[in-house]
Amino acid sequence: MTKPLKLAVVGHTNVGKTSLLRTLTRDVGFGEVSHRPSTTRHVEGARLSVDGEALLELYDTPGLEDAIALLDYLERLDRPGERLDGPARLARFLEGSEARQRFEQEAKVLRQLLASDAGLYVIDAREPVLAKYRDELQVLASCGKPLLPVLNFVSSSDHREPDWREALARLGLHALVRFDSVAPPEDGERRLYESLALLLENARPQLERLVLDQQVQRQARQQSAARLIAELLIDCAACRRSVVTEDEQQAIGDLRKAVRQREQKCVEALLKLFGFRPQDAAASDLPLLDGRWGDDLFNPETLKQLGVRVGGGIAAGAAAGAGVDLLVGGLTLGAAALAGAIAGGALQTARSYGSRLLGKIKGQRELTVDDSVLRLLALRQRQLLKALSVRGHAAMHSIKVDTPQDKTWREGKLPEALHKARAHPQWSSLNPHAKLSQAERQEQIEALAQRLDET
Amino acid sequence: MTALNPLQKLWLTETVRLREEHAGALEDLEANRLARTAGGDLPTRIQHRALHLAERDGLTAALTRWLQGARLALVLLALVAVISGAGLAFAALGNGLAPVNVFWALGSLLGLNLILLISWALGLLFAGEHSASLGRLWLWLSEKLARDAKAAQLAPALLLLLQRQKLNRWAVGVLVNGLWLLALLSALVILLTLLATRRYGFVWETTILGADTFVAVTQALGALPAVLGFNVPTVEMIRASGDSALNIESARQAWAAWLVGVLLVYGLLPRLILALLCLWRWKVGRAALRLDLNLPGYSQLRERLMPSSERLGVNDAAPEQLHHVTGGVSELESDGALLVAIELDDQHPWPPKLPAQVKNAGILDSRESRNKLLEQLTRFPPARLTIACDPRRSPDRGSLALIAELARSAAATRVWLLQAPPGQALDAERLGDWHTALHQLELPFADCAPLNWLETGHD
Repeated sequence: MTKPLKLAVVGHTNVGKTSLLRTLTRDVGFGEVSHRPSTTRHVEGARLSVDGEALLELYDTPGLEDAIALLDYLERLDRPGERLDGPARLARFLEGSEARQRFEQEAKVLRQLLASDAGLYVIDAREPVLAKYRDELQVLASCGKPLLPVLNFVSSSDHREPDWREALARLGLHALVRFDSVAPPEDGERRLYESLALLLENARPQLERLVLDQQVQRQARQQSAARLIAELLIDCAACRRSVVTEDEQQAIGDLRKAVRQREQKCVEALLKLFGFRPQDAAASDLPLLDGRWGDDLFNPETLKQLGVRVGGGIAAGAAAGAGVDLLVGGLTLGAAALAGAIAGGALQTARSYGSRLLGKIKGQRELTVDDSVLRLLALRQRQLLKALSVRGHAAMHSIKVDTPQDKTWREGKLPEALHKARAHPQWSSLNPHAKLSQAERQEQIEALAQRLDET
Repeated sequence: MTALNPLQKLWLTETVRLREEHAGALEDLEANRLARTAGGDLPTRIQHRALHLAERDGLTAALTRWLQGARLALVLLALVAVISGAGLAFAALGNGLAPVNVFWALGSLLGLNLILLISWALGLLFAGEHSASLGRLWLWLSEKLARDAKAAQLAPALLLLLQRQKLNRWAVGVLVNGLWLLALLSALVILLTLLATRRYGFVWETTILGADTFVAVTQALGALPAVLGFNVPTVEMIRASGDSALNIESARQAWAAWLVGVLLVYGLLPRLILALLCLWRWKVGRAALRLDLNLPGYSQLRERLMPSSERLGVNDAAPEQLHHVTGGVSELESDGALLVAIELDDQHPWPPKLPAQVKNAGILDSRESRNKLLEQLTRFPPARLTIACDPRRSPDRGSLALIAELARSAAATRVWLLQAPPGQALDAERLGDWHTALHQLELPFADCAPLNWLETGHD
């Protein structure tokens, strides 16, 4: 078993050290993040493991705030006629009394960096390269540990990356990583660990393992998410309510409520899957309000916004989202049922179709969820998925997510699985007597999830 | 209780997943802890957890009962198969009073088998996983025989698990072909017994077909069994049997051997081969069965069972109180007015136009410039000092200490928090932090240049 690599996350106050840790550990609750300087005043660690084996230990440290004075103080520590090197000077400083008083916070950082294999020096790329930052780097460099500068907030419009690159190069730090802890690039972690592997050749195998594992997990998350969305769509497509004409308005209301709740369930599951809490989504770009979608699913305006084309009846808002199968219009239903019957489960389909036909003769009507609502559900969940997969676990403010460009869901033919689901009311958890574990249902979910994952 | 085999473990794991999916998460703190302690890779831990939960909730016992039920159902089905196989043989040969019509006998022995074999093969090719009513019958029977509410998710779980590797068809194939093999075996045994203990004469009859057709059909059917050493009636025998049952021993024996041979080769052998093939595929597939970790139910367990990140806790605690910077004023004799800026970037034009009496001390950034100014101020303390700060920087202890030190060397100090450069806005939260920090230093501040005050000493 290899010893975990120890990294100290260091930097000026308020540059996002704790945020970086949150993002790297995918732990939204790590430490405390706020706009105030010196929010973190202690050293706290987190461990990253693969297959139960600890590979990396990250330590969050307080921000350096008084580097100019500290450097001044350090330089005065040399006794006359003596020339100390960095670590020796630091050792003398850490033994002295100022390490417990004025420079108490700085001493914590230095102690931790000395105990680590390397440091990640976090930089707020929006800041100008001030003398205090240069002094900070000089103090940190005297620890004799490799430092990897991490440029945070590079997705901000007014960052000064070129200035920083130049300044760091002047200090002999040529390797650096751009990593926005709020909106980390998809390969951000990989690049960070690869750059680290350049600095720490011995740690390369474990860093590579970490990178590989994270890639695998990202894919697994995407696939799980696609399955969750596929289940939602199948549930809604197969949802079906028999209703006598008089109670139609009431039944439409109930159906909409059920679909909304089902969507909410999917949203919560997605948030959980990506390691976010429902309240984390609040007040953010995730097009959610308080962890739920702000725009109502059955509002014709919402459909228009996401570019789903709607038929006349729905646009008028008459029975928005609830397709009504009339006996005359039952042709479509009949055709779907027939297709389903051929596909398999003939007996069951025929039976349920029979009872439905009977209901129609008795003057009942069938309510289903309209195609355009299914499209909307698919679009919205995919938009959410996209937002979640690029969102850092440190994000507190909003990131813009473009309206998805997926034509397939907006206009094209709906996937075959949804047509099949239409003919299988027992596939929907929203219907009574649902048979959710039916092999055919799982097969269709699988197919649909694959389709969602691909496009 | 006997230890569970790998398939049963996977099955229970899947059952627990389904249960949690349908009825909400189970209370699993202990199970998770045990699974974490046991170690291993994620699937092992998930299984460990599931088995603990299954044991606790009686699912394991339910599984055992279900298996008993399944075995009982299998015995019942086997019994039915044996009886119906025997029935086939009896129906084929009749009571021995009338001569046996060979083709009728062949039809009743093999006809149904052939039809169902073809339908099974077609189902295998086209319908995928949904065919095989016999398999369903078995599942339904086992469920009825198990009679346990806890087992409600057991059968679906097995189906789902097997379906993922497309194993259903092979499992059902083993069952179907095995049962048919049994039925045909029983038919063969009864057939042999009857042939051994009774005397049957064999005939064939036709109204519209010629004798040659029968000769050809008989010989064609007998060709394969003949390879295995079964007698085929000679052409004369066949022709003669068309009129009436031949009462010679060799003809009876030849027909009987032909019948047994055809049953063996076209009835038993295909079923045996198919059963073995299905068994082989089943064994191979079964060995490849894994948990599908991409299922949402399992991927959510990852963080609990094998966290990719855990907090290590605080290893260097926060101090009770941070080093405190104090303000103050110079008691020395002071004169003049001075404007100084701290850590400005190039986006601020500096200095602003100053009245003649106000001196400009430039921008402080580096240590050298700081020390130089502080030294100068200590020697000639100004009466009025204005410190300009850019509130886009964060009010860190270093900057505040500098402000406090500057303030201590002047008789009166004001802080000027600069406006944002054109096109940018100040962060309200950060501005608030500045206000708080300056309040603590007891320094007055403003967001516009106090030039008037600098020049004259009052606003």
